[in-house]
Amino acid sequence: MSLDRSTRLRTSSRAPELLLPALLGGLILVYFALPFVAFLSRTGTANVVAGLSTPAAQGAIRNSLLTAPISTAIATVLGVPLAYVLARTSFPGKRLVEALVILPLIIPPVVGGAMLITAVGRFTPIGSAATAAGVPLTDSLIGVILAQTFVAAPFVVITARAGFGAVDERLEQASRSLGYGPLATFWNVSLPLARGAILAGIVLTFARAIGEFGATMMVAYNPRTMPTRIWVDFIAGGIDAIVPLALALLVITLVVLSAVQRFGRVPTVIDE
Amino acid sequence: MTLELDSLTHRYGDELAVDDVSFGIESGELVALLGPSGCGKTTIVQAITGHVRPTSGRVRLRGTDVTDTPPESREVGIVFQRSTLFPHMTVGENVAYGLAARDIEPERREQLVDEYLELVDLDDQRTALPEALSGGQRRRVELARAIAPQPDVLVLDEPLSALDRALRERLRDEIARIQRETGVTTLFVTHDQEEAMALADRLVVMNDGDVSGIGAPRTLYESPPTPFVASFLGRSNTFSATLTARQPMTVALGDHEIVIDGTETDRPTGSDVTCHLRPDALSIRPSGSDRALSLPGEVTRIADLGRRYDVTVRVEPGVELVVERTAAPPTIGESVTVELPSHALSIFSGEENERLTERAAPEARSQFDDPRPQS
Repeated sequence: MSLDRSTRLRTSSRAPELLLPALLGGLILVYFALPFVAFLSRTGTANVVAGLSTPAAQGAIRNSLLTAPISTAIATVLGVPLAYVLARTSFPGKRLVEALVILPLIIPPVVGGAMLITAVGRFTPIGSAATAAGVPLTDSLIGVILAQTFVAAPFVVITARAGFGAVDERLEQASRSLGYGPLATFWNVSLPLARGAILAGIVLTFARAIGEFGATMMVAYNPRTMPTRIWVDFIAGGIDAIVPLALALLVITLVVLSAVQRFGRVPTVIDE
Repeated sequence: MTLELDSLTHRYGDELAVDDVSFGIESGELVALLGPSGCGKTTIVQAITGHVRPTSGRVRLRGTDVTDTPPESREVGIVFQRSTLFPHMTVGENVAYGLAARDIEPERREQLVDEYLELVDLDDQRTALPEALSGGQRRRVELARAIAPQPDVLVLDEPLSALDRALRERLRDEIARIQRETGVTTLFVTHDQEEAMALADRLVVMNDGDVSGIGAPRTLYESPPTPFVASFLGRSNTFSATLTARQPMTVALGDHEIVIDGTETDRPTGSDVTCHLRPDALSIRPSGSDRALSLPGEVTRIADLGRRYDVTVRVEPGVELVVERTAAPPTIGESVTVELPSHALSIFSGEENERLTERAAPEARSQFDDPRPQS
């Protein structure tokens, strides 16, 4: 009898099993969506087209579209091999290397920027040598790229590392035994199989790079990128003044995200 | 010798995984490397394929030392326990992958892919992706991929362990057929002694990083060289006894003496020995029909396994022998005599685990054999 009842109780309580997590998750979703909606609702009052056609805005868009892809490319070309090494080997001090990869993520970008200045600023040995050679590392597009790369590169390293980690090492061993060296195996097997994760990492890195403000402001307040321009506009004209550029920034990021998802056949950003 | 391992030793840090292992495989032979998990089989596989550089010892392929040769420069085909088909390539592309690394013309390559897919009876799946195949089909594609480049040695590392029983047996026959048809020299690594015995020309039995025995399956089964082989290969009754005479060798189990005619030993009398007996070699007689090689006892347990009964007889306090029997079993509590044919008795010295009973050749054995009808 009592057994019967407890069984029934359990079945009846099964239906709302996910109720509590769904409620809690719903709250944060609302919190995510609210600022978007509130902000976008202002677009009607501001003249987006006029705002984007000023020379200052055009220059900022141009600078951002130039620097963010370069930063992302640098982060990818150097970060993916690092991710592979981290996924495949263990060595003394690996923990330290991993901590180093995460470091730019956990320090405030503005502090990261300050640190970059102490390393490559105008009056440091590296910075002064570069300036003398005609390629100043601060207050230049190169400075922007340095700042963006520093802050955004960890994303592609961490995500790609997870991707490589999910590729069974035996697949690589099979490839080796079938006559392919380590490089060819990486190219033919590891890279294609980790592609989804790597692409997701590239998208995250790009989004972070193009939106980078704190470190960029410290290293290269000029020339203006979209985020630094937004800051300047905000100081001068308040919220409504930044709507056009903010919107443009959002659109660029969304376009890149959906393009990568479509052509890369990546189901979601972080699915690995 | 197509493959030769010479004093192979490997340590992971302080842990000795493989300890001085030597064996060889002749051309066209199918050798099973058999042992429980953790006995060092996988390390040996890795050393043969070149993914592990052994701490010491040499690996030779067709007489050439390949110990320091990277995997891609060895002609070793490998099939792992879990599928390693490249999921982003079709079945045909997977099989062609190893061929493309060698200088084979594209036309000939296509032809070879067809041939090997036909060999494993999957020529109609050439354009399928691995994920569309069943577990058994995937195994067959992997076999085709591994042997298409015609490796010197094919290494199958637990290839059937992840499959269900019916499929396992079917694929086992399939592997035997493919090996027969291609004549590829094969090392079949498994923990399943039945699988190993069914497939292999020779067995290499490993335990805890050491080789415990090498030989033809039946020889190892009937005359196990070490206690480990006796207990791992098939079922075995094990008990301790004391050596009481050296010629003929006589051991005492409690009050009973077992005299093994035609044997001698130089071990001191009084030393401890371990005895192994195959349940299928024993037979049960009514009590009182004592002979030299028999032990009286009492039936304590009977398990009906359908095709046979496992009859457990207690012959001494703490010593129970399992006897396989197809005829109707005695009843529990009945006093019976367990007969031991001398060839079925493997005696090992207590300390060194060295085999004391001769490895009887079949013809030598028959003269000791009781001319009794098989029960």
